[in-house]
Amino acid sequence: MSYCVSIKRMNEILKELQKEYKVYAPMRFEKRGRYSDTDLIRYAEINSIEDVVYDEKSDFSPKEVIYPITQALFYFTEYEYMESKVDDKKIMIFVRPCDINGFRRLDTIFLKNGGTEDIYYKRLREKVKFILMECKEGGWDSCFCVSMGSNKTDDYSLAVRFGDDNILVEIKDDEFTNLFADEREVEFTPEFVTSNPTKVNIPEIDSHELLEKIYDLDMWESYNSRCISCGACTAVCITCSCFTTLDVTYTENGKVGERRRVQASCMHEDFTTMAGGLSFRKTAGERMRFRTLHKIYDYKLRFKDEHMCVGCGRCDERCPELISFPATINRLYDEVEKLKKAETTKDIR
Amino acid sequence: MSYDIDIKKVRRNCYRQSKVRGEFMLQIRVPGGVIDAKYLSFFQHIAETWGNGEFHLGVKQTISIPGIKYEYIDEVNKYIRPYIEEIEVNLCGVDMVVDDDGYPTIGARNIMACIGNRHCIKANIDTTDLARKIEKIIFPSDYHIKLNISGCPNDCAKAHVSDIGIIGITKTEYDYERCIGCKKCVEACAHHATRVLSVEKGKIVKDTCCCVGCGECVLVCPTGAWTRNPKKFYRVLIGGRTGKQTPRMGKIFLNWVTEDVVLGVLKNWETFSAYVMNNKPEYIHGGHLIDRVGYNKFKEMILKDVKLNPEAMVAQRVLWTETEYRSNFNVKPVTQR
Ligand code: SF4
Ligand code: SF4
Ligand code: SF4
Ligand code: SF4
Ligand code: SF4
Repeated sequence: MSYCVSIKRMNEILKELQKEYKVYAPMRFEKRGRYSDTDLIRYAEINSIEDVVYDEKSDFSPKEVIYPITQALFYFTEYEYMESKVDDKKIMIFVRPCDINGFRRLDTIFLKNGGTEDIYYKRLREKVKFILMECKEGGWDSCFCVSMGSNKTDDYSLAVRFGDDNILVEIKDDEFTNLFADEREVEFTPEFVTSNPTKVNIPEIDSHELLEKIYDLDMWESYNSRCISCGACTAVCITCSCFTTLDVTYTENGKVGERRRVQASCMHEDFTTMAGGLSFRKTAGERMRFRTLHKIYDYKLRFKDEHMCVGCGRCDERCPELISFPATINRLYDEVEKLKKAETTKDIR
Repeated sequence: MSYDIDIKKVRRNCYRQSKVRGEFMLQIRVPGGVIDAKYLSFFQHIAETWGNGEFHLGVKQTISIPGIKYEYIDEVNKYIRPYIEEIEVNLCGVDMVVDDDGYPTIGARNIMACIGNRHCIKANIDTTDLARKIEKIIFPSDYHIKLNISGCPNDCAKAHVSDIGIIGITKTEYDYERCIGCKKCVEACAHHATRVLSVEKGKIVKDTCCCVGCGECVLVCPTGAWTRNPKKFYRVLIGGRTGKQTPRMGKIFLNWVTEDVVLGVLKNWETFSAYVMNNKPEYIHGGHLIDRVGYNKFKEMILKDVKLNPEAMVAQRVLWTETEYRSNFNVKPVTQR
């Protein structure tokens, strides 16, 4: 069922919803961008429907709503420990189709990887309902969701199209039908982007020999001087899930503290550093290779159905050194094609 | 040809004497160094009609046109009337009568500025905008002032060697929850600035005393844990100068002040200068004026009726030596050599 709802009414409905739900959406933080007099768009709890930034792509992904950057797991004293808690309220998030598809990858990593469920992820994830936001036609410059097959989804409770005075809402989840009982019924289902200006070709890596050759490609070395290993690309990524765990003891009493996890980045120099100082990926190029293959090879190899990257393009837009991830994928594709061609010519000879 | 010219009068009109007898170089003001590209053809016309066909990008960001013969000055002045009108009156809001006589004074020099946040990724402020606001305050005046504005503490516009130097700084704010303890900001601060950040228990602590407000930590932070306070802040330096006798770096007079404070201070400059020189303007660097009456008198007069913002810091004394943001700055731990 779909409705046409005035902004005013939508705000009243929002108030009603917020009795049970914390409602998150991309919000504008004025002049908080990386550069002076630029804004930052990231997820936060909204106060009104006008807070939702629907006509721009957010800098950061919605993953931080249910996978917080810093999260206390439990608190300890000398003799006892206590698990951390989360707010009783349920969660609604305004998201794009690629993000919903991205959450499925996060679910796989946190809930279906290695036979154990991550309860800290699960306890928040279980509370979540999605409000799908339509994208503008073709998406944004850096989007390549169509190439990654993540431009569509039906996994949402509500879908919205923002207009100047009205919002069109499709309701898929009966729980919310009552809230809209007085609204004007209309024909509306969300439209999905069917073609992006940015397209990628995913290389088909079908043998271990080929993979080894890919490891040694010269193209990775170009990132040694280009990439500053800042980790901005992974911080914004809807599907990057790495974290590090540490025990923090409080300053006033060194025996009391918390076990905490914080997000981490495979692009940082010390990501693979082990006790004793051994480290596996020493150069920026090697780390770029790892990240690239992780997003468009490793994950699918392991979990079969789909690649990890959903083509949201945030990593591209956020890279301070103008390194484009889709361009990197396409560069790799071309190199792999060359390798394959060389292989067939060899066979013929 | 023999000339009988009042050189000082011509200089006041912004024409500088040439080594070629009877020739002069017109210095056209470009406040903050940014104007519409359409004026290029205007400058070209002056250079090719009355000058020697060349122009110099003046070190104080004037467009300087050499080789103008004395007898053409009247014609040139007539020609530049609409430019003065458009730039000074319309763009900067300067309160002046524009006539056919060219620039009324050279006293307050062209305000120099780096490109600032209209372009530069390091910048904290819109230097062009500030320069235009200041032009309205300092021009036209026969009292000399050299004023340089930089968008960040890199100080590309050399605020450190001007009478009054203004540097855009940022009060950075830290979001504990967003920080992943990656130390990128710590490294950036040590590399570019004053080494005031360190990691403690996976999070960042800052020695606020010596933060120069450059924003390098913001630029490098992957998670947006460091952001700029949206309010703009400025550092004001005084008494810097070049010259044959006593060149020196300017020193910090005000830190973390708002635009209102900066503009308030500049409104008092003329009164201060007039007081020191007994109402007889001479060409003398601002630092010498401060030296003559002493820093305390300068401070008293220049801050008159200026309402300092709560964050503001004011220098108690000024030691005219090499600029050091903190003592023993060069004494570093062996691991960081
Ligand atoms: S790798 Fe880049 S494009 Fe792919 S999901 Fe992550 S942020 Fe989006
Ligand atoms: S690719 Fe760009 S965003 Fe990612 S670590 Fe390198 S420089 Fe940073
Ligand atoms: S002073 Fe700073 S803002 Fe200005 S150009 Fe230099 S680096 Fe950029
Ligand atoms: S750069 Fe940002 S995320 Fe990294 S330690 Fe500094 S504040 Fe934390
Ligand atoms: S703004 Fe301050 S803390 Fe940040 S890099 Fe500059 S000096 Fe260091």
